[in-house]
Amino acid sequence: MDEWKPNPAIKPHKKRSWYLAWKYKLMNQRALRKLCQTGAVLFLLVTVIVNIKLILDTRRAAYEEEEESAQDYDDEMLNVEVPRHPVSNKKVLDVEVYSSRSKVYVAVDGTTVLEDEAREQGRGIHVIVLNQATGHVMAKRVFDTYSPHEDEAMVLFLNMVARGRILIFTIKDEGSFHLKDTAKNVLKSLGSQVAPFLSWRDMWAFVGKKGGEVYGEKHAKSPALSTWGDPVLLKTEVHLTSVEDAECRWPDTELNHRRKRFCSKVEGYGSVCSCKDPTPIEFNPDPLKDNKVFDVPVAVIAGNRPNYLYRMLRSLLSAQGVNPQMITVFIDGYYEEPMDVVELFGLSGIQHTPISIKNARVSQHYKASLTATFNLFPDAKFAVVLEEDLDISVDFFSFLSQSIHLLEEDESLYCVSAWNDQGYEHTAEDPSLLYRVETMPGLGWVLRKSLYKDELEPKWPTPEKLWDWDMWMRMPEQRKGRECIIPDVSRSYHFGIVGLNMNGYFHEAYFKKHKFNTVPNVQLKNVESLRKDAYEAEIHRLLGEAEVLDHSKNACEDSFVPDTEGRVYVMFIRMEQEADFTTWTQLAKCLHIWDLDVRGNHKGLWRLFRKKNHFLVVGVPASPYSSKKPSSVTPIYIEPPAKEEGAVAVPAVAAAEQT
Amino acid sequence: MQKINKNVVLALLSLTSLVFLLFQLYYYKFYLSQKNGAVFSKVRGSQSGQDSTRWHVVRKFLGLISSHNIPVYLIDPLILGLVDKDIEQIRSSPDGPSPECKYFCAPRDFTTFALLDKTWKHEVGLFRTAEKMGFQWLKILNKDPRLDGMDDLSGIEIPLHYIFKLASHAIHLVVFYERSGNYLWHGPLRLKQHMDRKFVPFRKLHFGRYPGAYEKPELLLVSIDDLKVQIPKSPSSFLEEMSHSRFLECRYREARAFFQLYPDDASLDAVEFRKKAKSLLHLAALTLNNLGVKFWLSSGTCLGWYRQCNVIPHSKDVDLGVFIKDYKADIIPAFQKAGLPLKHKFGKVEDSLELSFQGEDDVKLDIFFFYEEDDHIWNGGTQAKSGKKFKYLFPKFTLCWTEFVELKVHVPCETRQYVEANYGPDWKVPVKTWDWKSSPSNVQYNGIWPVNEWDDVIQIY
Repeated sequence: MDEWKPNPAIKPHKKRSWYLAWKYKLMNQRALRKLCQTGAVLFLLVTVIVNIKLILDTRRAAYEEEEESAQDYDDEMLNVEVPRHPVSNKKVLDVEVYSSRSKVYVAVDGTTVLEDEAREQGRGIHVIVLNQATGHVMAKRVFDTYSPHEDEAMVLFLNMVARGRILIFTIKDEGSFHLKDTAKNVLKSLGSQVAPFLSWRDMWAFVGKKGGEVYGEKHAKSPALSTWGDPVLLKTEVHLTSVEDAECRWPDTELNHRRKRFCSKVEGYGSVCSCKDPTPIEFNPDPLKDNKVFDVPVAVIAGNRPNYLYRMLRSLLSAQGVNPQMITVFIDGYYEEPMDVVELFGLSGIQHTPISIKNARVSQHYKASLTATFNLFPDAKFAVVLEEDLDISVDFFSFLSQSIHLLEEDESLYCVSAWNDQGYEHTAEDPSLLYRVETMPGLGWVLRKSLYKDELEPKWPTPEKLWDWDMWMRMPEQRKGRECIIPDVSRSYHFGIVGLNMNGYFHEAYFKKHKFNTVPNVQLKNVESLRKDAYEAEIHRLLGEAEVLDHSKNACEDSFVPDTEGRVYVMFIRMEQEADFTTWTQLAKCLHIWDLDVRGNHKGLWRLFRKKNHFLVVGVPASPYSSKKPSSVTPIYIEPPAKEEGAVAVPAVAAAEQT
Repeated sequence: MQKINKNVVLALLSLTSLVFLLFQLYYYKFYLSQKNGAVFSKVRGSQSGQDSTRWHVVRKFLGLISSHNIPVYLIDPLILGLVDKDIEQIRSSPDGPSPECKYFCAPRDFTTFALLDKTWKHEVGLFRTAEKMGFQWLKILNKDPRLDGMDDLSGIEIPLHYIFKLASHAIHLVVFYERSGNYLWHGPLRLKQHMDRKFVPFRKLHFGRYPGAYEKPELLLVSIDDLKVQIPKSPSSFLEEMSHSRFLECRYREARAFFQLYPDDASLDAVEFRKKAKSLLHLAALTLNNLGVKFWLSSGTCLGWYRQCNVIPHSKDVDLGVFIKDYKADIIPAFQKAGLPLKHKFGKVEDSLELSFQGEDDVKLDIFFFYEEDDHIWNGGTQAKSGKKFKYLFPKFTLCWTEFVELKVHVPCETRQYVEANYGPDWKVPVKTWDWKSSPSNVQYNGIWPVNEWDDVIQIY
């Protein structure tokens, strides 16, 4: 108790004295006064309690509300949305352009938008298009004007770019060898003073506005043929305009909203962004009567070739009977521009994280796309599989609508494909004719869900197996002897020149002359005869009717087939066993059709057209149709050329081609 | 002076506190009424008889969607409940004018409609028209679950719910998606950070607390309260379905993590087994659904779903659970008819019943019957050669829908507890050797069958 005393507690003293005084007074009061005071104190106490309760209640209520929304209706996921870069209100862009023998780069406001120092790549003129209001990169191209025709492509591109856009040019290595006057004049019209005099191994950087001012130009002449000009670095400023000035005044519709969004982001799509007369982005083709593929999902497999995708989707959306709601574009990688194209057409697109490399990457992308398609459309029995580098025939869906029931009913079928590997301008004739073939052509085809789900998906090649999906699908373990239905005249056209297994030469040789149907509403002939047994009867009928060609003549020569029209001819070639395609390959070579591997055969029989006559080739004795051979006829044998190794090596590369 | 002062002070204090108290009471009431505004207005509504605001809002909404050719159907549980009472009359007179506003004027905060995603084109025009008509609207997006299982696809966000608000009434439009397994799915309603939490009292919505799975309904066009609407053909069965429609998504992320640790068996045998197990499960589901027997994934099959979203390749059989109260004598003949002969039958309906059917190529279908007690649920096991009985104990659970190998099936909602009861805390680690008599962590020895009953309770074919 003693310890308490040293505490210099002043308050208790005061309180104590106050209390004593009060106590003393109280004793002197009357009962009423006492009651009043007690009442007041009690009342104060009640107020305090009510107050506390109120505070507690409100807090609890607020907490409950918070918790309730947190538990039930809050998105438990963190908002992963990356905050968009605030649109800078800056009116001036700093642009840096570098041109040299081995390296080019372009930096806009300190951000590198182009950097290319790879060896033996990116030669020529690099062009970058910036939005004049936002400074965003709208297009990036490189034209190898050292090589022929590239300057034409550049002119085409520059003409497509809208007026007012900012253009940046820079040369890597060499860009003048095949830069013709037309192209030079276009560059001159953009304000370049140097362009007309650009010569061998000059370095050059230029920034200007299309149809407007020039922001800067630098040039370094090559002193001698064997050396390059000194590197040039151009630093300049570009004044931005207002957003309104950079946009067209299209009518305010839903379609034009999409168009506006697209056109403010990318360049190089021609008249779709034209202010005066923009090309339509909605096509409304005629609907198909009794369309059996209206509810079939369409998977478009795409990579980063947005211009191809644009062309492809245009043709797809123009095909009669198309149902845009069923179309999904699967993009292999997080590329923005292909997605912009998809959104321009109001379609849905899904991006796919790339897995593995090269062919296996394509293969994994296919698998993911097909699985996703059947997940998104669980009702679907089929899926149409397309690629981004295909033109789609106007009667593509009509063709499928007329033939798809076969795929449903005939278990000996593997697919329906719009592509005839052997259907070139000079070997295809009848758009109403269908074949059964033992190979899987791809390039626009229909996949049965049960085939995918029960057979293909579970054992699809894993990422570490660097296989081509289509080669894998053609393997006997997968195909199991089943066949595909194809048209004589293809309903798709493979226009892609740039691709994984593709180059310009290859395309020219094997794809350019492919026949493509442009006739709408083709009524397919005798579809029921494509069923397994009916087709055999049909073939026997055809062979019975066919005239046997003169086997003493050279099969490669034009005169081998008489100058008639509409007749059926048959020839017999040597084919010792099922896998002996020696003569066929040589024949295919001289007929200028697909000769890199065997396509389009049906039990040792090939069907094509020559000089508008149906032309049948039967492999004897491997084909069951050999019995049709008159005993007097000796099957033709064409010896392969001596350089066997070279001939073998090509198919290995090219076989993978159609991916 | 001091005396007077003190009294005055006391009186003043009391007065202030009184005023303060009154103010606070007023505020408290105000706060309450704001929070439960709907409750108050409901009371008012019923007092003043028919409230036609709701009817008008519904009519406007129906006008809006029909002008855009969007087929919606009514799934509002309150209205369907009322409709169900008069269903015969409504069916028989599809066009009759109604004397009073009986259904759409009934007091409630929302009217709920359903929309099948694939039947409309996501036109922006709809919302513009809606705004012109005076509606405020809210769209709730979320990830597309149909792509959830595929980690490498950037799933697009899809609209799951729309809310159209006009005056004091709101229309809740639930978007249904078709999913693999031939069923309809609707998503949960989750607000994002920036969304207006006070837009409507979200907590009172009938749909959206959980995702749900439904059969595709048959629809009926009826005229109620002079409005033409589509309703489920049988409102009562729809309401019944709704009461246990909760859907669980497979835990794809955890499954991926599992496969990172234990790479999937991609051998041909595994592929084959999965294929067989899948088709066996499909056949079993078809058979049991036809009989109207409710079942769920149990044991190894359930573990496979929960842990790896797939059939466990080394599990060698398919396991289903059925409550004994749902047992039907037809089960055995029905399976036999479906091509699955009875392999063995252990126990009896009163105790430890277990049926095994022989599927294709040694894949076995086990059906365990579960017995409910006050605080737990159990199923039994029998060792054929010794007649020993075993008991497997589980905590009580309810059933949820899920999707498994393209099938809409039940699993225990409290899956984790269920799996843990069965496989212990280490269920995440694959075990290839499993002894059903000793390995489960919930097994109890349960005596021996009396020898005279053996012929009945141990039947092996």
